[in-house]
Amino acid sequence: MKFEIPQKEYMYPGHVACPGCGGAYSMRMALKALGERTIIVIPACCWSIIDGPFPLHACKPPVFHTAFETAAIAASGIKAGLDIQGKTDITVMSWAGDGGTLDIGIQALSGAAERNDDFIYVCYDNEAYMNTGIQRSSATPWGAWTTTTPAETPKSEPKKNITEIMIAHRIPYAATTTLAYPDDMIRKFKKAKSIKGTKFIHIFAPCPTGWKMAPDLMVKICRLAVDSNVFPLYECEYGIHYTINHIPKKPIPVEEYLKPQGRFSHLTKAMIEHIQKSVNFEWELLKQRAGVS
Amino acid sequence: MKKVITGNHAVSYGAQLARSQVIAAYPITPQTQIVELLSEFCASGKLNAKFIKVESEHSAMSACIAAAATGARTFTATSSQGLALMHEMLHWAAGARLPVVLANVNRAMGPGWSVWTDQNDSLSQRDLGWLQFYCESNQEVMDTVIQAFKIGEKVLLPVMVILDAFVLSHTSEPVDIPDQELVDRFLPLPPVNLPYKLDVEDPHAFGALTSPDHYYEIRFKIQKAQDEAVQVAKEVDEEFKNILGRGYGIVEPYRCDDAKLILVTSGTITGTARIVVDSERVKGRKVGLLKIRMFRPTPIKELREILPRAQKVVVIDRNISFGHSGVFCQEIKSALYGLPVQPTIFGFIIGIGGRDVTAQDIEEIVDYASKTEKPDSIILWRGVRL
Amino acid sequence: MKWLDFETIPKVILEREPDYPPWAVSLTNTLVNRTGSWRIFRPKYFDKTPPCNDACPAHEKIQGYMELVKQKKFLEGYELIIEDNPFPSITGRVCFHPCEASCNRGEYDESLGIHNVERFLGDYGLKRAKAKKSAAHISKQIAIIGSGPAGLTCAYYLAKSGYKVIVYEHFSLPGGMLRVGIPAYRLPKDILNKEIRKLEVLGVKFKTNFTLGKDIFLDDLKQTNDAVFIATGAHKSRNLGVPEEKTRGVYSGLEFLAQINSGKRPRIGKEILVIGGGNTAVDAARSALRLGILPKILYRRTRHEMPAVAEEVQEAENEGIPIHFLVAPVKVIKSKGRITRLECQKMKLGKPDESGRRRPVPIKGSNFRIKCDSVICAIGEQIDLSVLTDDIATTGWSISADDWGRTNLPNIFAGGDCVTGPKMVVDAIAAGKRTALAIDSYFTSREIKEEPNPEITLFSNLNIGYFELAQKVTMPGLNVKERKRNFREVHLGYNELMVYKEADRCFSCGVCNKCDNCFVFCPDLAVMKSDDKYDFDYDYCKGCGVCAYECPRNAISMEEEEAR
Repeated sequence: MKFEIPQKEYMYPGHVACPGCGGAYSMRMALKALGERTIIVIPACCWSIIDGPFPLHACKPPVFHTAFETAAIAASGIKAGLDIQGKTDITVMSWAGDGGTLDIGIQALSGAAERNDDFIYVCYDNEAYMNTGIQRSSATPWGAWTTTTPAETPKSEPKKNITEIMIAHRIPYAATTTLAYPDDMIRKFKKAKSIKGTKFIHIFAPCPTGWKMAPDLMVKICRLAVDSNVFPLYECEYGIHYTINHIPKKPIPVEEYLKPQGRFSHLTKAMIEHIQKSVNFEWELLKQRAGVS
Repeated sequence: MKKVITGNHAVSYGAQLARSQVIAAYPITPQTQIVELLSEFCASGKLNAKFIKVESEHSAMSACIAAAATGARTFTATSSQGLALMHEMLHWAAGARLPVVLANVNRAMGPGWSVWTDQNDSLSQRDLGWLQFYCESNQEVMDTVIQAFKIGEKVLLPVMVILDAFVLSHTSEPVDIPDQELVDRFLPLPPVNLPYKLDVEDPHAFGALTSPDHYYEIRFKIQKAQDEAVQVAKEVDEEFKNILGRGYGIVEPYRCDDAKLILVTSGTITGTARIVVDSERVKGRKVGLLKIRMFRPTPIKELREILPRAQKVVVIDRNISFGHSGVFCQEIKSALYGLPVQPTIFGFIIGIGGRDVTAQDIEEIVDYASKTEKPDSIILWRGVRL
Repeated sequence: MKWLDFETIPKVILEREPDYPPWAVSLTNTLVNRTGSWRIFRPKYFDKTPPCNDACPAHEKIQGYMELVKQKKFLEGYELIIEDNPFPSITGRVCFHPCEASCNRGEYDESLGIHNVERFLGDYGLKRAKAKKSAAHISKQIAIIGSGPAGLTCAYYLAKSGYKVIVYEHFSLPGGMLRVGIPAYRLPKDILNKEIRKLEVLGVKFKTNFTLGKDIFLDDLKQTNDAVFIATGAHKSRNLGVPEEKTRGVYSGLEFLAQINSGKRPRIGKEILVIGGGNTAVDAARSALRLGILPKILYRRTRHEMPAVAEEVQEAENEGIPIHFLVAPVKVIKSKGRITRLECQKMKLGKPDESGRRRPVPIKGSNFRIKCDSVICAIGEQIDLSVLTDDIATTGWSISADDWGRTNLPNIFAGGDCVTGPKMVVDAIAAGKRTALAIDSYFTSREIKEEPNPEITLFSNLNIGYFELAQKVTMPGLNVKERKRNFREVHLGYNELMVYKEADRCFSCGVCNKCDNCFVFCPDLAVMKSDDKYDFDYDYCKGCGVCAYECPRNAISMEEEEAR
């Protein structure tokens, strides 16, 4: 089996992501799908650093760095500015972390989605504020260690379901994807590019540094997340038409996904069971929405 | 064409005549009429612009910045709390050297809620790199909006055009609305000619992490642009005058040549003070008036030339920098520092939160300053009821 | 650590912009930032040995020809096999394929049908490959005694290298055990003939009906040739070692098979007992069946200890041949000089013997008799050392030679069953190939070396997530009814579609097959891809190891960087 992905690169090596960075990899794939007639908006997040300090850039298309909470609105502004100048064939993509999306950026994102502004919003979700040193965000899963949720009192709230929030806006396209499925990722970006309006892509993007995990597990951990239903791959059109893209024949226990990650090393058996139950519950809900029995 | 319109609508006409391309705004009293009329312009086709009806002022400014980065001519309007919410992005606009134009209707900050005028909202934003113009009349408001685009686009800095809540925003005055053709002769057609813009044909990354090795020089350049803006503003005002027949200067001295006492004002208080100057002259007092129209960059040269002609300078501030004194007063003192002849400076605070400033108030201020050799306090509070 | 080349940046700025840009606008790309200096571990493309290649005594490049078959390059696949084994059409039929037993796929779903693919390529090559003509250009002549797989292989490689080769054969046709020991339903004679023809075209001379010690003598051969390779095999049947075994109606398994294989119908009875659990026993029993007789097999241990290939045993049972386990002959009962019954006793398994199998122990008082008119005795073959001269060192039961066939005498080499005792055809082929190298080295002083990489890729080294379950392609064959009363080949071979499908199941363990995963998954754009290979860009590779981990087949190794 061979992944059929576009061969041309739209990024330079020498970017300053940590070894095994899921975010860096995801950008590479996204740009392969979108091509050079793209403008990238990057709010405060790891990618503010990864693209390289002034006077460098790692992405071949133009990059617009912007304030933390403005990923979505900056894209709206750029799209408006281009449209009024007749440059209507350019794809604008916001590229924000989970903090910039689920927390500080959700207002502008919701506003843009309500207006159905024409751009692709990407949340590369590494489940905490990694760039600032692994503080919890509303994307941090229940039970996880972060520097603000120490192992003695790990995060006690479940992860905010941003994809469902976006789907509730009835935007034309919302999808989840992850690194272990590059063909799925490329296809979703291409699809998003072909649709007018607000498109939301949620990438499960591991951070070996923040997850206390060996960097070579970057892809493997994504496969485990999907195969355990921790992070199902699905897409939804107009808030109604759900498609689950990958249904594991026999889901693996969440423990296998949790085990390689130091951020879960303090979990007790009972806690793992709780996670398993909630994963099962969410999976059943998703299947209902998708009409899969 | 002369029309009787409010100050808010004067802003809208200015933005329309300047051919704004992207407008992003959020409603706030007393600014709402600005965006209402602009919406109508866009809807009727009188203005070919993208109007992003954003969900906050923070987003309004962000959208303008992003759109401006593509080379589009951008405009927004706000007031008070809205301007405060924009604060982070006001920094960004200046730091990104993007000539966004913003109309701010001066309104007092909460709490308690106030919708009435004072200058604390805009003066809180004076250190960011924005140019600031304070207007006296609805005509000046419209003209300054048009001029703001030209000045901003020349020096690559954003410009704030400021008008008093209600006293201008909701008060109708006759305004001469010029033909589009005349404005087009004055102001180049968009898009804006930026040295670097978001362009897939010439890709760059904008605003990346900047190390101490580089950041300092970039900030230095903002100050250089501010310095340059003094001359640019004067020239642009001259050009405007040549084409459209009106000019304002960056400051306006009124009967200052032989004045023994000069009043310094900004905004609508200027109009009231002008009447008092005339009545004082009838009484035999040699009173003059200096209207400060451009506050950022501060017209230091002009202040140092004009003010030392008088023995006394009376600065009227409709704002208070808590812990110090009125902002204009502080800045004038600082501007005059080191001159061999120093006038005595009286710093009055008045009209905070939109309380009326009457001719009688100003007459009493002049009377006090004339009779008093030196102020007994750094702040002279006018009309505080305790 | 200094990671950003700040010294070059001001220069870059000055080139592009004599003055500083008005704000933070990038002016060049991150290529100036050589992140390779962060690396602690260095990935390296490093092919390992697949377990199949390792398990194959001839070290066939199995993974290699599977890849060629995947690309439908059948002729290239054939050429690759014959680098190590000149007779894939033979081994593809008769080899016990230890490669398949070690195939990692076996731990996943079902081992790859390696010998089925090998057979396809062998047959394909026999039909399509251009015959290599005689190329004898070296004035050295080598005599090979015995034309079994060891002798033929050695002859092939020597002739191909340009030596003159004469092969002496005891029987009237060359092939040795391939011809006389293996029934035609497993190895059709025309296949063997074609393979031998391949050697004749190469210039190998065959002299048949020459028996060592009778028609030719080692001392003479030593004089008239530059080197001699003894490959006489193990053709002497072991005796039963029971009273009256010289009775009429008691046959040796090899003799029985040799008669059938030479086209004669042996004179044999109707009630046949085959004694033994090896391949000769199974071949004899199945051959008897094809003569219209239903034999019984008696074996003194259990199925688990049977040395015969399990598939052959299974086929025998499919064909209806009963096998009686834990039964050993004790005595031949005769009447009028001919066998009428075989007295046996029941056995049980005791402690393991030196072969590791549990030793059969007689159960006292369990003797019983089985009615029969013939017994085929197939309990093993031995080496006939009587034909050798005294100066050759032996172990007492075999010729002493090293892995390269070198005996104690300088120009005498030996290999195959006559050195190792009875083993697989492919073992003899491997011995023939190694000896050919040793003989060449003897003349040229060229160094010979074992080349396969000792690092073997095991199942646990694979990233199994990349493989999908796939059933082995079934080999078409004759049904049991069709096999009766004829010696037609039982297995019919794959067609092109089947062979492609089966080769496609190959994991390519330990060997890069350009699946692109390293290129696809590199987050640092540090894998450079060209038409025929990948290279790491060590200027930028941060050593995260994702490529090595995501390599499905363990073809990338991570090595610790030397301290800088």
